[in-house]
Amino acid sequence: MKFPSFITAERVVGRAETRRYDLPLNNGPGSGFLTLLIGLMAFLAALTLAAFFGLSGMTDRWSSGLENKATVEVPARTAEGTLLAPEAVDELTARVDVALKAQPGIKSTKRLSEDDIRALIQPWLGDSDLPGKVPLPGLISLDLSSSDPEIIGALEKVVTDNAPGARIDRHESWLHDLLRFTGGLRTAAFLLSLAIGCTAAAAVAGAVQARMAIHSADVELLHLIGASDSYIAGQFQRHFLILALKGAAAGTLAGGLALLGTAWIMGGGSESGLLPGLALTPPQMAAILFLPLAAGLLATVAARQTALRTLSRML
Amino acid sequence: MLCFEHVGLRYGIGPEVLSDISFMLEQGSFHFLCGPSGSGKTSLMTLMYLGRSPTRGLITMFGQNINGMGRTELSPLRQRIGVVFQDFRLMPHLSAFDNVALPLRVQGKPEKEIRINVNELLEWVGLGDHKHALPHTMSGGQQQRVAIARAVIARPRLLMADEPTGNLDDEIGFRLMGLFEQLNRMGTTIVIATHNQQILTRMAQPRLVLEKGGLRTEMPPAGKKKNQGAGAA
Repeated sequence: MKFPSFITAERVVGRAETRRYDLPLNNGPGSGFLTLLIGLMAFLAALTLAAFFGLSGMTDRWSSGLENKATVEVPARTAEGTLLAPEAVDELTARVDVALKAQPGIKSTKRLSEDDIRALIQPWLGDSDLPGKVPLPGLISLDLSSSDPEIIGALEKVVTDNAPGARIDRHESWLHDLLRFTGGLRTAAFLLSLAIGCTAAAAVAGAVQARMAIHSADVELLHLIGASDSYIAGQFQRHFLILALKGAAAGTLAGGLALLGTAWIMGGGSESGLLPGLALTPPQMAAILFLPLAAGLLATVAARQTALRTLSRML
Repeated sequence: MLCFEHVGLRYGIGPEVLSDISFMLEQGSFHFLCGPSGSGKTSLMTLMYLGRSPTRGLITMFGQNINGMGRTELSPLRQRIGVVFQDFRLMPHLSAFDNVALPLRVQGKPEKEIRINVNELLEWVGLGDHKHALPHTMSGGQQQRVAIARAVIARPRLLMADEPTGNLDDEIGFRLMGLFEQLNRMGTTIVIATHNQQILTRMAQPRLVLEKGGLRTEMPPAGKKKNQGAGAA
């Protein structure tokens, strides 16, 4: 009787390849639902990341724009309530300006002209001729080389010595409130991103457990013919990686379109320049485009760890 | 290569289905496992192919004590065992080809080698035209041949078969027994559980007889050439 040749002589041809699944993971129920779920997660993550980047940019612009800046205000009214003539205010302002220029810690000073000051208050008072009737303070914009409290204290003394009632406004009070507010929003966006990631990982873990329960007989058979836990976990890992990549790619694309739509509606930001537009820098765009890969990595780790943990309780 | 010492098995809190089983199989031996229905043949086979741990006693396989062995350590041992299950246990979603290829893929063999060997074996068992067929489209006999092909494809060191010829006609049955004998000549240890009197009469191998939870060894009838032996304590 002639037997198969490999029975009598070992034959080795070619090298091992990565192949499709031994387990019917593609045929199970819920694959489409999980892809959709991961797609929605990626969509939300794209929007959340964009919000995070937008808020970070806004905070950076505000804080860097006002860092080491201060404004000297020479009031148009004395402490006793007497209204000063515009020329007197101008003279006091000039005196303070000259005195400050000689101080250490001052990089530059700029006296604001009457037109500059009127332009500043125009957004609040409108185009009426009212600004012309309002007594205007003298303003000096300071560019400081340091925020050292000692230097600031010395500058404040110089200011009050030359113009009683004048003061230095470092914008800190309102800036801190704004930074705290945007910082809170940014933290919320970050936590939301984490929650989205955890939810996606939990969804994958649940799906892996369900698939392992459905195919427990096949998994047991694989074990009996010598499959290692890693081999079996690898099948789940590969399946859920592909699902996650598909879902997250679609979700990120949808998120990108939503961001484009939002940016189009918002235009280039607010007219006052206070609120920036929704423009993302190239690294930020790259981070959003990286979402499908991140989702794939997350699904891979979640699927593998869940499969290994579940297998360790079997047989 | 396989040694049972005072092995017992019970399921849950039920009575012992195997009591104080002791025997040793030498490398390259060939045995039939016999006994009436319900005597524990399948339970004993399950212990032998490492599908379950004994509730008592000691099992040594390939020179290693398998009691308390971790899952990671069991995998390479299982790769050296081929099993033909009584209910075949084919993967219903895989074709005959992929079912037979499974042990080689689990062992990480090259796909080209898998293709050549599996095709040749399927031709040999008469299923060359059915390699793409799913198990549910095949007859019981065809499924049994796929199960046997899967058990031998990786040239196991220990081959166990639970009623491997139950659904086969005599010709293919003896043909497959010839394959088992050939594997045995090449050093594979064979244990076949069977009721098939024709095979038992025609093949003069020692028998492990299970009765009332215990095991004894019977030598083949006089005048027939015996393969290698084993001892039941």
